[in-house]
Amino acid sequence: MKQRTVMLACSVLFACVLSQPIEGYLKLTEQIANRTVPLHWSQGPVRYFVFDRGVPGVTPSQLQAAVQRSFGVWQEVPTASIAFQFAGFTSSAPGTEDGASTLGFLDRPDLQGVLGATGFLIDEVTGEILESDVFFNSRFSWSVAAAGEAGTFDVESVAVHEIGHLLGLGHSGLGEVEVRTAASRVVAAEAVMFPIAFSPGTIDGRRLKADDIAGVSDLYPDADLRGRTGSIQGRVRQSGRGVLGAHVVAFNPRTGSLIAGFALNAQGEFGIAGLEPGLHILRVEPIDDGNVNSFFDQPPVVDVNFKAAYFGNFVIAPRGGSTSSFDIQVQPK
Amino acid sequence: MTAAICVCALLTAEHVCATIVTPAEFSELVSAARAIAHGRIVSIRAQSSDDRVRVETLVTMRVATYLKGNLGPKVTFVVPGGTLGRYRSIILGAPHFVEGEEVVVFLSARGPSLPYVLRLGQGIFRVVRDSSSEDRMIAPPPLVGQSQEWQTVVRGDPARGPMSLTDFAARVRVLVEGGR
Repeated sequence: MKQRTVMLACSVLFACVLSQPIEGYLKLTEQIANRTVPLHWSQGPVRYFVFDRGVPGVTPSQLQAAVQRSFGVWQEVPTASIAFQFAGFTSSAPGTEDGASTLGFLDRPDLQGVLGATGFLIDEVTGEILESDVFFNSRFSWSVAAAGEAGTFDVESVAVHEIGHLLGLGHSGLGEVEVRTAASRVVAAEAVMFPIAFSPGTIDGRRLKADDIAGVSDLYPDADLRGRTGSIQGRVRQSGRGVLGAHVVAFNPRTGSLIAGFALNAQGEFGIAGLEPGLHILRVEPIDDGNVNSFFDQPPVVDVNFKAAYFGNFVIAPRGGSTSSFDIQVQPK
Repeated sequence: MTAAICVCALLTAEHVCATIVTPAEFSELVSAARAIAHGRIVSIRAQSSDDRVRVETLVTMRVATYLKGNLGPKVTFVVPGGTLGRYRSIILGAPHFVEGEEVVVFLSARGPSLPYVLRLGQGIFRVVRDSSSEDRMIAPPPLVGQSQEWQTVVRGDPARGPMSLTDFAARVRVLVEGGR
C-alpha cells in the first residue's frame, strides 16, 4: 500500500499554488454593454412570491411548502452564503414582468416538453436582476408526496433544479441517458442541474450532489471557502487548437465525488473550483449525447467531434489555490 | 494573480442556457413537429406579448426546404424573451438566433397563434460547415434509438460523428413517412 502511494505521488502533476482561485462550472451570464455579467444576486435575502393557483393534486399551500423546502436545500449548503424569504402568495402569474420574483404553475402550451423554466428580468444598463420567475408547466401531472407518486413529476425536485438557475447556475453535464426506438430516459445524474428530468415518480432530484454544492459555493462563497478548497485549471487542445465546449470532469477517488466544468472559450480553457484539496482524475468528453443547446444557447457551435480521454496524470487541487494551467490533448473521432 | 484573474474573465465568455425538459428521442421530435424547416434567419424583432405582460421575440426565417409540412417560403415563429428598451427578459433555455444563421427548426403551433420552436432548444439543429470538406453538417447528430433494447449513449463514441445535412434530411423524411 505504501509503495502504491509513493507511485501515485510520483505520477501526479504537482500543483503551483496561486493566490486567487479561478471560476468554474457553467454560470449564467449576460452581455451588458460589452461586459460579460454573471447573473448573480448581489443582496440577500432573495424575496419570492408563490402564485396562488394550484393544479390537480397540488394546492397553492402545498406548492409553497414544497418550494420552501427546495429553497432550504440550497440555503443549507454549509459552504455557501445565500438566504431566501417567502414574501406571500400573489395572483400575478410567473412570467409577468412586475418586479416580483414569483414561482408557480402555468399553462404554457408553447413550452411543450418543458417541465419547468426560469426567467430573469434584468436592467439592460446596469445588469441588475430585477426579478426572476420560475414556472412549472401545468400540462404535466405533479405531486408533492413525500416519497413521490407514480406517473407524476415531483414538484420539489424540479423546484430544486429551477432554483439553481435562479441562483445563477447553468446546466451540469453530469448525467447519462439511454435510448431505444422512439424513447429515451435518464439513467444517472450526478447533479440536480442536469437538464433532463428523471422519469415521473422519482424524487432523486431533491438532494444536491457534489457538483451542485461546488457550483453554488463558488457563486456565493462563505467567508473561508476559498481557503478550504482548491481549483484546477487548464486547456483542452486538439491538433494545436482549443476545444470549445469540452466537458471536463474531475473525479476525487477518495470521496467518489464528481465535479465538472466546460472549456468556455476558443482557447479551450477550463477551470473547476470548489474542489476538496487532493488528488483528482480528469476525464474530457464531448457533449455529443443530446442537445448542446441545453448548455450553450448561442453560436458558435461547440466542438463535439473528438474522443473522450483521460488526462495522463493525477492532478492535485491545492488547498486555498489553483493548479498552474496544463494541457489535455484529445483526438478527433 | 494577474494570470488567474485573466482566466476568470475569459471563462465566463459564452452564453449559457437552462431549463428542465422531459427526454425526447429524435423520432418523437419529428413526430411532434408540425413543420420542420431548413433555411436562414433573416430577421429578429422583440415585442410585447398580446397581453402585454411579457416580452417575446419574433424570428423570421427564409425557408430553403421543408422536411415536414409547409408554412410558406418565409416563416415567422415566436420565442420567449427579448430586449425592449431598458429591460431584457431572459427565459433560460429559450433559443437564441443570429441573422444569417443557417438552421433546421422543428416548429409546432396551436390554434391561430404563431408557430413556436418545439421543446425550446431541443427543436433546433444548427448547420455548420465542415472545416475541410466545406460540407454542411449537423453536429452533434440527433440521438436515434436503433432498437427496442435500451442502449446507453456513450459520450465520445467514434461511431457517432457529425451528420451531413443531406443524411439528416433523409433521416427526417424516413421518419415522416413512418419508416425507420
